[in-house]
Amino acid sequence: MASLLRTNLRLARISIKENRTRSFLTCLGIAIGVASIVLILSLMGGISNLVKNEVNEIGSDLIVVRPNSSKDSVTSVIEELTSSNSFQNSSLNVSDVEAISKIEGVNAVAPIAISRNMINSEKNNLPSTQILGTNLDFIKIEPLAMHYGSFLSENNEEKSVVLGRTLSLALFNTINSTIGKTIEIMGEKFMIVGVLEEVDKSINFDNVDFDNAVIMDIKSLSKITDSVQIQQINIKAANTDVLGQVSNEISDALVKQKLGDRNFTVSYGDQISHPASSLFTIISGMLTLVAAISLVVGGIGVMNIMLVSVAERSHEIGVRKAVGASSRNILMQFLFEALILSILGGLFGLILGYILAFIISTITPFAPYISWSIIALTFLTTLAVGIIFGIYPALKAASKNPIDSLKHYR
Amino acid sequence: MEENLIELKGLTKSYGYGDAKYFALKDFDLSIKRGEFIMIMGPSGCGKTTLLNIIGLLDRATRGEYLLNGENVISISSRRQAKLRAKKIGFIFQNFNLIEDLPVIENVALPLVYTGYSKTAQLKNASSILKRFHLQEREYYLPYQLSGGQQQRVAIARAIVGDPEIILADEPTGNLDSRSSRIVMEELKAIHEEGNTIIMVTHNPALTVYATRVINMLDGQIDTDVKTVADQNLPQPVNVKIKKRKKARRK
Repeated sequence: MASLLRTNLRLARISIKENRTRSFLTCLGIAIGVASIVLILSLMGGISNLVKNEVNEIGSDLIVVRPNSSKDSVTSVIEELTSSNSFQNSSLNVSDVEAISKIEGVNAVAPIAISRNMINSEKNNLPSTQILGTNLDFIKIEPLAMHYGSFLSENNEEKSVVLGRTLSLALFNTINSTIGKTIEIMGEKFMIVGVLEEVDKSINFDNVDFDNAVIMDIKSLSKITDSVQIQQINIKAANTDVLGQVSNEISDALVKQKLGDRNFTVSYGDQISHPASSLFTIISGMLTLVAAISLVVGGIGVMNIMLVSVAERSHEIGVRKAVGASSRNILMQFLFEALILSILGGLFGLILGYILAFIISTITPFAPYISWSIIALTFLTTLAVGIIFGIYPALKAASKNPIDSLKHYR
Repeated sequence: MEENLIELKGLTKSYGYGDAKYFALKDFDLSIKRGEFIMIMGPSGCGKTTLLNIIGLLDRATRGEYLLNGENVISISSRRQAKLRAKKIGFIFQNFNLIEDLPVIENVALPLVYTGYSKTAQLKNASSILKRFHLQEREYYLPYQLSGGQQQRVAIARAIVGDPEIILADEPTGNLDSRSSRIVMEELKAIHEEGNTIIMVTHNPALTVYATRVINMLDGQIDTDVKTVADQNLPQPVNVKIKKRKKARRK
């Protein structure tokens, strides 16, 4: 059996070598499909890693509560896409924040509510700018560095805002002398008390682009917009040992608060790094689907070329059967050839995908993520493609009548 | 008396339906003993090749009985057919039917690939057979680099490498000049003298001198059947030789 396998392997090699150009083009088809999958997975992995690293930086004592959509995810994402405000129907509210802050072992609780609105300053007007509503605990949980001024404090809770660095530049063309100036949102005036240091992490677990955001107290935010939707609550536990216990207590408290509804998720540790937005998941899923389609096209290429190969080698099949090859032997021979073609393509695609990922990563803030799971997935996928698209030509070869096949001359 | 190697009873092969029905073989009866060298002659379309294909388990009869070594093989699975082809039957064709992409030695070793020989044993056996045909220097030539006569000798080597019980030859000299034909026939004669059973289809009456039995076919039936050598004088296989070759087998 082992000898037969080796023979098949060698025969596949001979056949692929004989038809070099054809085999190369077929492999290329598979390679492009695999490369796009690898590219997407490694970049998505890179993004997840970025968030994971950020969570690690903030500390392992972080607990995050996120709302669950009561509807199925696709509908909610479409809703999210079509509405101007993300988490239009968040299940979290300000009273939840208060409930959590009463739990023992919780050091700080900060809600994160996002709104978008027009901002006017004396110099420029910016449409649709991200406004983050939170509370004073926010800075205790996430140590954002201040470039100038200070974060919101008890003295200036109301009517004060902190600007992101890029936003400050956009509004006043400066970052140093914006303190004390005012901006106007929905007719309300707010005084700038601080400007953040550059964060340069547009992707993070808060789903907030701090460089381009206005930070204000959540109570002020609720005054200028009709409904404040809390997309996330960040919690700092007293110490890491009680993380599990505290998160359970938060869970219980929220269930009680919501009269039994479990429409939220409490996560800590690695779970947090799962990208905050389901939009992200859907987009990556769709991209992978598109890549999978190109892989299917590559697979059809393999099938096509194998059918040609079977037709061309009718005579050989006849000879082999005449000297004692069973249909199964012939099946294995051609299936092997298809497998080798697609695995070669997969290998090629893996390399190509990573090269592309590295090229792309030079202009993005994250490094591509290389893992054994992606390599294993690629291998299994190409194996499956080889079998799925190789089985029909192989069956066709195996079912050939030896007498008719022998009549085919080269 | 030893039982017949091949026993055909009422063998019929038909093609088509109704008015267009055509019989390639019609109630064909034939017994073949070990060690016979049978030449089958007859006009084109008389069913010679069909008969050879059925004996060689490449084709199935429409009805009738075919006993090979006493075993009825008419309705066995195609997998078992393939196994029997690999172990008991060697084919020689008019157009050699070598695989163009494989070197001579691997063409010869082909039947061994499907009978569980190790790679080394395959090549060893093929090499020793090629030596016998004085082709040892051309082991790694590709078929197109050989003359027709050499190619046919390679094909004969392939037919006997697995030590089959029956060698079936379909006009083996049909594509060869007279000199190559003679060499090929001498080889077949030598193989026969070692006790092998050969069934050969030919159009050339001059070749019947090599045969121990000549069968003339007409319209799917036997027309004449002449034995030139008495049954008890047929060469019988030397068991030692078989054992020696089987030794190389793994397991």
